[in-house]
Amino acid sequence: MNTLLDRRWAKTYPWLGESPVPTEPCVSPAIYQEEIDKVFKKVWLCMGRVEELPEAGSFKLKRLDFASTSALIIRGRDGVIRAFHNTCSHRGNTVVVPEGEWDNFGRKNGFTCRFHAWTYNDQGELTGIQEPQGLPLCFERSENGLTPIACDLWEGFMFINLDPHPSVGLTEFLGDIGRHFAGFPYHSLTHNFTYHTVLNCNWKIGVDAFAEAYHVTTIHAGSFPGTFSTGLQMVKLLGDHRTTAVCFDPPRSSPPVARLAQAKARGSLVNKVHETTLPPTMNDEKREDYAFELSVIFPNWLLHITEGIWFTHQFWPMGHDKCLWEGKYYVAPPQTNSERWALEHAMVLQRNAWLEDTATMEGTFYSLRSGAKPHMQLHDEEVLVRHGYHVLDKYLNKKDGK
Amino acid sequence: MASLLPDEFVQIESWAADWAQPTQNQRWDKRLSSTNVEITEFYHAILPWLERILAHADEFPLGKLPERSARLFDLALMHAEIAPNVELYRGDPNVPHSFEERRFIAVHGSDRH
Repeated sequence: MNTLLDRRWAKTYPWLGESPVPTEPCVSPAIYQEEIDKVFKKVWLCMGRVEELPEAGSFKLKRLDFASTSALIIRGRDGVIRAFHNTCSHRGNTVVVPEGEWDNFGRKNGFTCRFHAWTYNDQGELTGIQEPQGLPLCFERSENGLTPIACDLWEGFMFINLDPHPSVGLTEFLGDIGRHFAGFPYHSLTHNFTYHTVLNCNWKIGVDAFAEAYHVTTIHAGSFPGTFSTGLQMVKLLGDHRTTAVCFDPPRSSPPVARLAQAKARGSLVNKVHETTLPPTMNDEKREDYAFELSVIFPNWLLHITEGIWFTHQFWPMGHDKCLWEGKYYVAPPQTNSERWALEHAMVLQRNAWLEDTATMEGTFYSLRSGAKPHMQLHDEEVLVRHGYHVLDKYLNKKDGK
Repeated sequence: MASLLPDEFVQIESWAADWAQPTQNQRWDKRLSSTNVEITEFYHAILPWLERILAHADEFPLGKLPERSARLFDLALMHAEIAPNVELYRGDPNVPHSFEERRFIAVHGSDRH
């Protein structure tokens, strides 16, 4: 990487500084709690795609353990997508009982709490009470719907904000990164595979590991040998968010099965193709070695796009020492069985790369807890990681989280 | 015994019983429970047939394969599952230097194909 040795991002963004970054935020329970109170309960968080809720009554139940709640996101009969705390107005019981550890999906005409059968419709209104004549005269049914959570859409992505009175709207929160990533055909690239696991590490260790390409020649020597040689390009630090182009020269040759899969369908990042559907904001330098856009949308969501592919990572805090990781990969639906086979190969290779990525996270956390290293030393190629701590610091040092 | 695969694939019939796995989770388990030698032999046995298998599968609409053809297609998907291990990881049935594979949960893992 001898083209990368001139500290170009430090020169581009001198206000970020080049000091070592403290590791305490990665291991401290007290700082973790501050992050929950001042960040995760205050900012907009991506909850998934509108396509996950295809019809009236479709719902998604997302556990948010860091806030001791779950978000019940429902498409109403009026077509509007709303989010609610999954908490009954009667005695506070869980309304939709989650099955398993992960997201629940379904469709219901009414959402009935199994404790005393209070029932809510697909707009969160309280519509059914068992023996209502026994309630006090001051009880107002219309005031006892499910507690709403602020919910808004961007490019077909559903976002919530747990703050009852968000200080900024979603559009303002996303700002320039919302404009940078607008116009990509997310809605038509619907063939998806999703993996998740609980990692025994702080959520930021996960985000940081994916927020640079400096690791690619080492960590992905197995799955992506000989690729990704030209590093970050066109880094843009956009408010609380950050984005970069990842560039590489394609490998000189591929082995037989990889070659056949690449010929059959657009599914792998390693397979370079001509760009036709990327928004004009992407690759504005028109580089030949442009591979994909990597972004971190504050605080916990990484969105990547390239021609015919988009993929995301998201890390959900579950304590200072634990987080849920979700990796999602989307391509155009296959039209033929052989395309379907080719996408299986792309999926397997990408899953394997993610297995390589996640391999370091628990070890990093374990070692940092030793206290042996109060600081981490960041390379210029890790400018997105540095920016992440810069933004986090801004939030934690704000009085009362405003 | 009735053949498991379409007639023109009789020469790879012997692989079908063990390696034609219909879901991603089953293919993943099969790889993890196989040896270096087993996945390498399977890779080389199927590779010369792969394009013919895909051409056969494309005689049918997406996802509408008759039983024996579906089993043949499962064999191709199983081949995709182990191909990186043979082509990139020197036959190691695991992904080298990886996170514990069995802790990764595939949301689509139990779906047919």
